[in-house]
Amino acid sequence: MGSRRYDSRTTIFSPEGRLYQVEYAQEAISHAGTAIGILAKDGIVLAAERKVTSKLLEQDTSAEKMYTLNESMVCAVAGLNSDAGILVQNARKSAQDYLRTYNEEIPCEQLVKHVCNVKQGYTQHGGLRPFGVSFIYAGYDDIRQFQLYQSNPSGNYSGWKATSMGANKASAQTLLRQDYKDDMTLAEACELAVKILSKTMDNTNLTSEKLEFATVSKDAKDHVVHRIWQPDQIDQLLKDSGLGKEEDDE
Amino acid sequence: MQAIADSFVGTGPMGAMAAQHEEDVRAIQQQQLTPSLAVPPISQPTAFLRAHTDDASNPDCKIKIAHGTTTLAFRFKGGIVVAVDSRATAGNWVASQTVNKVIRINPFLLGTMAGGAADCQYWETWLGGQCRLYELREKQRISVAAASKILSNLVYSYKGMGLSMGTMVCGYTAREGPTIYYVDSDGTRLKGDLFCVGSGQTFAYGVLDATYKWDLTVEEALALGKRSILAATHRDAFSGGSVNLYHVTEEGWVYHGNYNCGPAIWEAKEKEDSFNNIITKLKDDE
Amino acid sequence: MDIVLGLRIKGGVLVATSKAATRGISVIKVGDDKTRELNPNTLMAYTGEAGDTVQFAEYIMANTRLYGIRHDIELSPSAVASFTRNQLAKALRSRKPYQVNVLIAGFDPKTEKPTLNLIDYLASNVELPYAAHGYAAYYTMSLLDRHWKEGMTQEEGVVLMRMCIKELQTRLPVDFKGVYVKVVDKDGIRDVSALVYPDEYPEAEVTEELEVQQGEIAA
Repeated sequence: MGSRRYDSRTTIFSPEGRLYQVEYAQEAISHAGTAIGILAKDGIVLAAERKVTSKLLEQDTSAEKMYTLNESMVCAVAGLNSDAGILVQNARKSAQDYLRTYNEEIPCEQLVKHVCNVKQGYTQHGGLRPFGVSFIYAGYDDIRQFQLYQSNPSGNYSGWKATSMGANKASAQTLLRQDYKDDMTLAEACELAVKILSKTMDNTNLTSEKLEFATVSKDAKDHVVHRIWQPDQIDQLLKDSGLGKEEDDE
Repeated sequence: MQAIADSFVGTGPMGAMAAQHEEDVRAIQQQQLTPSLAVPPISQPTAFLRAHTDDASNPDCKIKIAHGTTTLAFRFKGGIVVAVDSRATAGNWVASQTVNKVIRINPFLLGTMAGGAADCQYWETWLGGQCRLYELREKQRISVAAASKILSNLVYSYKGMGLSMGTMVCGYTAREGPTIYYVDSDGTRLKGDLFCVGSGQTFAYGVLDATYKWDLTVEEALALGKRSILAATHRDAFSGGSVNLYHVTEEGWVYHGNYNCGPAIWEAKEKEDSFNNIITKLKDDE
Repeated sequence: MDIVLGLRIKGGVLVATSKAATRGISVIKVGDDKTRELNPNTLMAYTGEAGDTVQFAEYIMANTRLYGIRHDIELSPSAVASFTRNQLAKALRSRKPYQVNVLIAGFDPKTEKPTLNLIDYLASNVELPYAAHGYAAYYTMSLLDRHWKEGMTQEEGVVLMRMCIKELQTRLPVDFKGVYVKVVDKDGIRDVSALVYPDEYPEAEVTEELEVQQGEIAA
């Protein structure tokens, strides 16, 4: 193993110019539940697969991979949930700091950049492990309207029309490339999200227990609204798109 | 003050300018190279200093800071004229009649001295050091604007702690031409054509404003500078001694001598038919 | 006795600041500009303790411009005002508060709205149609209450500003050596002193329209 001498230190490049710890973190994420984000013309949808590890585990109905960052942003997590918690806490605080200082919401990209700067720091400063987390962020601001970003453990981020992360990232990405249309509505994007997850998930029958949804859109008064969906809303969507479990028909 | 000024400590002056993004701001500041004053080890250094130095509120105070002065500098067609008196007073005591109130920062820069003699002498000498370091770093002479800003930022960092300075930084650079900046211990820094500073400033302004014009010849300008200080030494008890005269040109400053105020008054009176309030004959003598 | 005065007009804000720099009983400069351009569409006018004023204004200016460079987008005038207020609030409880009062005049290119914020050294921040600091407020507020109208044109604003300056010259016991007048609008920040003092700037053109309006307001 050529990596042995270099893989325990985040701060050291291998002779091939690689940072193994960062790559391992990315590897950890590729085993996490799939999450996708789709940018529509009137909003953004984030959808994620929640892995149910044991039947004995107390089933919490609240979302655990979707986080509200501030009044105009939500994000989905793939990777170590505990690591994500720290970054989300940090992001929420800087969003509020910005709001307090400028009396305006922080522009989406600035918040993403801020989180990424924290992530980058842990790939460089000695003795610490990088954050094993990728995020997909959905938000709205006056500068660039609806925006979708993705960041990874290295601290890189980029903007997307539709993107995915986690276990079946590649196949989800292929499906998105096939079915994404520039003039999609949010409702269409939600259906597409369900459709893709239904194909990428190992478990074929979808329920609100295995899925999480979040959206950012605008209300009738043109105000930005974001919400993390309740189980019944997810079930409704599954039913509407004909992908839900057939138990209701019994 | 001098005793305090001489004791250096390693830490920088109290950071008056807290940067907004502190964690990002790691700029090497001029102040890091600055020897800084040790503050008296008591809770209210400012109040302490005032209690022991304010002659006006407590005539018995133990430390009398040298204060009164008249200094002036003005720009004109032929460059800059700088003129100052030479009296140092501590309270009502005339401490010296032969003080040098123009500090030669370098061959192109002069600093005048009003207020606390020690403060001015110390910090303007220090400024000379900073200007030399700038020259070594940048391989060109420092601008008057930059030199004066180093001084004003420095005194601002000590604001409210008892520094007392009113100074004019005068110089010539190819980029700026002849330039004067007024810098005082409030932290004020102003560019201008004509300034008078010190307890005798009003008297100097009186003569200078009335006769000043841009097209003065060098001889006229030097004479006007000298005469304005003379006027101030006559009316202001805290100004006197002699006049020191300088002319700043593109070649740097030129010293134009020291003129004792005693004889100069009589000379002016005779030549100009001025100072007619001075009576040389008693009525009975007529 | 510095004068710092601002009023909102249609699509912009006019700001006047006195030219005299006074120390003790001497006027030591007659062309002092008491404003700083914080970014291309925000102007700060300041008055207060000598030394503090320029240091504070330049500190806010540096941070505002730094924001513009870092994020490739300028802060809105209202964001700049909030930031300034925050800095004053922080300083207020520090060892050495900034004794500075400011006006922040801006034009937000995004909302296309002009704004004028009055902020004092106690860190009150309020958005107003017209505002002044110090003694100037005592004379000009009543005058502006009487004559200021929403949506005044720049010409009307200039005439109104001229009335304010005239009143101050008449009633203030000191000579403040005239004022600089600047406008902040969609095109940025410009010196329009020539429009307010047509006599002192003979090269500037005074339109007939302007004279008529001046007559109207005077009547």
